[in-house]
Amino acid sequence: MNNVFIDVDYAQIYKHGQKIGGDVFLLSRNPESNQIVCTLSDGLGSGVKANVLASMTAHMAHKLSFSPISLSHSAEIIMNTLPVCKERKISYSTFTIADIHYKNDMENINVRLVEYDNPLSLRFRGTEKITWERERNELRREAAFKKEVVQYSTFDMEIGERLIMFSDGVAQSGLGKTLPLGWRNSGVEAFVTDLVSKQPDISSRELSAAIVQKANSLDGMCSKDDITAVVVYIRRPRKTVIVTGPPFSKESDEVLGEKIRAFDGRKIVSGGTTALIVSRLFNKKITVDLSCWSPDIPPASKMEGIDLVTEGMLTLSQVAKVLEDKTPPSTLPNSPVRKFVEILLDSDQIHFIVGTKINEAHQDPNIPVEIGIRRTIVGRLRAALENIYLKETSQEYL
Amino acid sequence: MKKEKVQVRICVGTACFVQGGSDLLLYNDFVDPAIIAECEIEGCSCLETCKAGGEGAPYVQINGEVHGKVTQEEFARLLAEAVRKNA
Repeated sequence: MNNVFIDVDYAQIYKHGQKIGGDVFLLSRNPESNQIVCTLSDGLGSGVKANVLASMTAHMAHKLSFSPISLSHSAEIIMNTLPVCKERKISYSTFTIADIHYKNDMENINVRLVEYDNPLSLRFRGTEKITWERERNELRREAAFKKEVVQYSTFDMEIGERLIMFSDGVAQSGLGKTLPLGWRNSGVEAFVTDLVSKQPDISSRELSAAIVQKANSLDGMCSKDDITAVVVYIRRPRKTVIVTGPPFSKESDEVLGEKIRAFDGRKIVSGGTTALIVSRLFNKKITVDLSCWSPDIPPASKMEGIDLVTEGMLTLSQVAKVLEDKTPPSTLPNSPVRKFVEILLDSDQIHFIVGTKINEAHQDPNIPVEIGIRRTIVGRLRAALENIYLKETSQEYL
Repeated sequence: MKKEKVQVRICVGTACFVQGGSDLLLYNDFVDPAIIAECEIEGCSCLETCKAGGEGAPYVQINGEVHGKVTQEEFARLLAEAVRKNA
């Protein structure tokens, strides 16, 4: 597994009262060509029409970025292809494309950025703002109502750097209300600097959500436009180990303990018997937290040195279900499953240590609910984490 | 000297939890509060009786003694009895 991770995530709020947005964000990772393409597009107006414009733009930009056509040519093709608005007689949507290339060893991360009429993107190294040269390119289309400026730039990104892209819904939030000219780029910049100085390791998911929430609150919680923020963050991967199931033979217990102790990252122990073994090995007491549980999910426990201790199969199958249904953890009740999912979503590389000992107590035919097979559940978790959340996972049996 | 409370541990391992252990965790709803006040109730991830061929889940440990197949009524009765003995 790599020791560098490109963390890309976004957050979005639609214009108040709209069920569909005019801001469209697309993200593709193409491991074969070592390329990540993120496209943010904002269509004219809001609602369905804007969504059609933005979706078309984003998809075209996206497809063209993976093709060998030059970016300037692609931009021209996109602008000439967009349909014309019936009322305003213009075809219009803005876009920002970040085309990220990296070498196999994840060194030399190179970004090609194309910006057209979106607020200019921001770059930070930690809390320090980075300015860079952009090449301005004027495009004159037939029937266009003004000269259009597309800005290109190329730069390398290093560990600890962030690239932040957002739609005008962010830059113009609070316009005419709390702020006469809106939040503007300078406001976003100050906000990010402040937040990053408080939480230097803030993930892209949290940072983009924070920007969007702040913009929405400036609009009086009644957004005037679609608000979208995208964060690209280059950092060391966050690792999590999930230990579930007792090892097949008692002699392997010590091996398990050593693996947990040596692991650099967050640690989850899932399983009652497994937790007992770990508590014995580490000589730490387990205390069950009876305050949060439900008929489906047994309570979690606390143990020094372990970030989360939960029951095994029932909790894991609920976690798998939440991941597969793409339920946002913030909508879940306060339960061990929520904590579990939050840790998973905040990790980049997840390692499973699966004990293969059969639990006799689970073989009782009187048990009223179906208790799955550990290996199957772990398979479901890994598939969901890799396919839906683009995490790296690995697994070993003990 | 202050007398020791009755030590109660309810198993919340998978097998116990799905076979009635979750009902026992609602002890506030069916056990006399005066009795609960005399007990120190905590959860436990496994009492390790299930694999040794015990009576059947769910298991509860009261003052060191493990009881199997405990229902809500049984739980209330066992606690009352333990508190009486403890007095």
